[in-house]
Amino acid sequence: MKNVRSKKYRGIQNLRILSQAVFFFLFFYLLLQTRFPEDDYIGRVEVFFHFDPLLALTTFLASHVFFASFLLALITLVLTFVWGRFFCGWICPLGTIHQFFAFIFKKTKLLKPKLPKDNHTIWKYYLLLVVLVGAVFSLNLVGILDPFSLLYRSFAVGFMPAITYTVNSFITILYQINWTSLGDALFQIFEMLDINSTFIQGFFLGTLFLGLILLNMTRERFWCRYLCPLGAFLGLAARWNILKLRVNQEKCIECGLCTRQCQTQANPFPNEDWKSSECDYCFTCSAICPTAAIQFPLRAKPESLKAIDLDRRRVLLTTFVGALAVPFFRLTPARIRASEKLIRPPGALPEEEFLRRCIKCGECMKVCPTNGLQPVISEAGPEGLWTPRLDMEIGYCEYYCSLCTQVCPTGAIQELTIEEKNKQIMGTAWVNRNRCIPWKFGNPCIVCEEHCPVSPKAIQLTKIEVTLKDGTVKTPLAPVIDLETCTGCGICENKCPVVDKPAIYVTSVGESRSERNQLLLDVIKSSEGIT
Amino acid sequence: MERRAFLKDIAIGSALLNLNPGILAQGGGTPDLAQVTGEDPAQLTKEAIRILGGMGTFVSKGDKVLVKPNIGWDRTPQLAACTNPDIVKALVELCFEAGAKEVTVLDNPCNPARRTYSRSGISKAAKAAGAKVPYPNDHKLKKTALQGESLKEWEIYSDFIETDKIINVPATKHHSLSRVTLGMKNWLGACGGNRNQLHQGLDAAMVDLAAFFKPALTVLDAYRVLFRNGPQGGRLSDVKELKTVVAGVDYVAIDALGSTFLDVDPQELRFLQLAQERGLGESQLEKVFIEKRTL
Repeated sequence: MKNVRSKKYRGIQNLRILSQAVFFFLFFYLLLQTRFPEDDYIGRVEVFFHFDPLLALTTFLASHVFFASFLLALITLVLTFVWGRFFCGWICPLGTIHQFFAFIFKKTKLLKPKLPKDNHTIWKYYLLLVVLVGAVFSLNLVGILDPFSLLYRSFAVGFMPAITYTVNSFITILYQINWTSLGDALFQIFEMLDINSTFIQGFFLGTLFLGLILLNMTRERFWCRYLCPLGAFLGLAARWNILKLRVNQEKCIECGLCTRQCQTQANPFPNEDWKSSECDYCFTCSAICPTAAIQFPLRAKPESLKAIDLDRRRVLLTTFVGALAVPFFRLTPARIRASEKLIRPPGALPEEEFLRRCIKCGECMKVCPTNGLQPVISEAGPEGLWTPRLDMEIGYCEYYCSLCTQVCPTGAIQELTIEEKNKQIMGTAWVNRNRCIPWKFGNPCIVCEEHCPVSPKAIQLTKIEVTLKDGTVKTPLAPVIDLETCTGCGICENKCPVVDKPAIYVTSVGESRSERNQLLLDVIKSSEGIT
Repeated sequence: MERRAFLKDIAIGSALLNLNPGILAQGGGTPDLAQVTGEDPAQLTKEAIRILGGMGTFVSKGDKVLVKPNIGWDRTPQLAACTNPDIVKALVELCFEAGAKEVTVLDNPCNPARRTYSRSGISKAAKAAGAKVPYPNDHKLKKTALQGESLKEWEIYSDFIETDKIINVPATKHHSLSRVTLGMKNWLGACGGNRNQLHQGLDAAMVDLAAFFKPALTVLDAYRVLFRNGPQGGRLSDVKELKTVVAGVDYVAIDALGSTFLDVDPQELRFLQLAQERGLGESQLEKVFIEKRTL
């Protein structure tokens, strides 16, 4: 039989694959570039986020502040009005990953596309509604589900560390078999890439992401079909787009291949069931149609409203759930008393505002030069899940660095120059005299003082007398904290030779961003009484 | 030349000098230390080496040379927390001129290596002169027998062992435990492991490390001196410009001279006493032939 498949649409399909590859590599490239640039200031490596209209809207709704960079999202929105959800099919790097794995699963027969009978594509609209209603009531949940946040976080916290671990093991093997120069070269390249590889929730976030990928074994682009709130948002905006699918009834042999192979369950056949809000313009249907019966002519006529079949009662119920989520997410002691371990990055907004803006993307965790920024589990309450906190047992805040403040896409961490950043107080250091080597054993140490980066040092040394069990007296220098100069950077805690539980540690009290989490009255602070 | 053989020669040579340090001084020949003061750090370095007989005295043709500056902190050269990059660069150039096959510049910093290598200006300067400037590679840490009096063994980057010659290029800084950090303290930057525990017996550890590494040459950067809030300072007011470079083989003498730049009497320094007792060098400056020159 003569092959009458459309060459034109096969070409467009190839173009789409090329576009997906380009944007995926761009995303990945910017992810890799999110590291110390051997300069104090980094470019706009977070720019992908600013093209996301859902992040723009929810952050605005929750914080009542419009962040100017988000104007870029208008481009995406306007183009969606014109061309529908092309963003999902042609640009979104998370969509590309899902489609890639669905392709692999199809080739390996782990996924056999079926004719979709369900109407579950509607789930994502309800999820979107929960997110939006939450945002109206100042609860910003979008970061958990937004595709860019999800992808970036999963890569930065889960996937990249796993890669680094693998490469490091490989390098170890290279040295074992005496391939020294290859080992050296590979090590230096990876050192240049500066990938943070220690994350408290690395396993969990990595596994979660893997789970989402495995869902493609049940349905192609499971995430995009059923869950993605950005997809839903763009789907709503796509209603008036001018690029409409048309099946040529004369050519159509009603084989159903198009509907079976449709990546996002947009139902190309029968024509009247096609949903422009679900179509991501991958052009698979038009390319595989054995009779070239499917085309995408330009048509300005708006679509009938039933395209997204939202049930009014369910909409009400979902709105109610979204509103109810607000108090539930805030049932936490974190609201009445600051957690000692919740040390936010320098320049972080006051906690309430911070939570309204933070989209849990992990940019700050990726760029932190010491790996100190970690995703929060419980310290900030349910609302604060995966927001950043400094963990001094893993890293610390590097003195001449304000990179996290520069890459934050929503301004939850205010952009600061290095000079401004060094005026920020993140917390206060404390000496645990029961564990400190000079205080407890009378031996010399001073490691914390040596590393203290402020001048004059916030850790001062004082000669003390320690009586040992045999009655001998030792007079070592021992650390004492100067509250006036300590910024809570935590390098002292990080470098303390008492490895398991450092004898000097930072807690959040005194942080500049909080009015209540303070130690000293300003009156006392400014007087001479305190040293 | 084999590194071990070379070290042996050096040991014999320095032992001879110890027996009668005046040998050279009397002859008006090569001094123990060259101390040069002037404006341009690179020129000072080159002049100091010239006074000592040129780099060819220390580096042979075809040698692999490892230059060990202090790149400890994420600080600009003006803040004097790391070795001056121009001095490092001048040394790399001299090594190549003397016929070195390969010059590597390496340190294990306290702040992240990418930051310190970059902000100190050392990576760029040394690379411009043709040196390799790799980041410290933990795969290359080897538990090494130091045969010291207090440190029996420690994890050392094997780069420091698998080289023909080592040139130590410390900065001149205040330190609250050893009081000064100069050449001997600089060896902590060749160590891995929990090196922060060395501070509990720092003076002894410094001496053991210095005795182990036995640099072919030590060049002390006293161009900018960090006289308080060491070892990383942070304010320009913590820095004094002495615009001086000292070079020599006797690292004990260099540390003794360096401590006077920080207004510390070398006889008060425990690690110099220990080094002197072990015969590693001369800490009494009146017994050291120092040629001083101003450019």
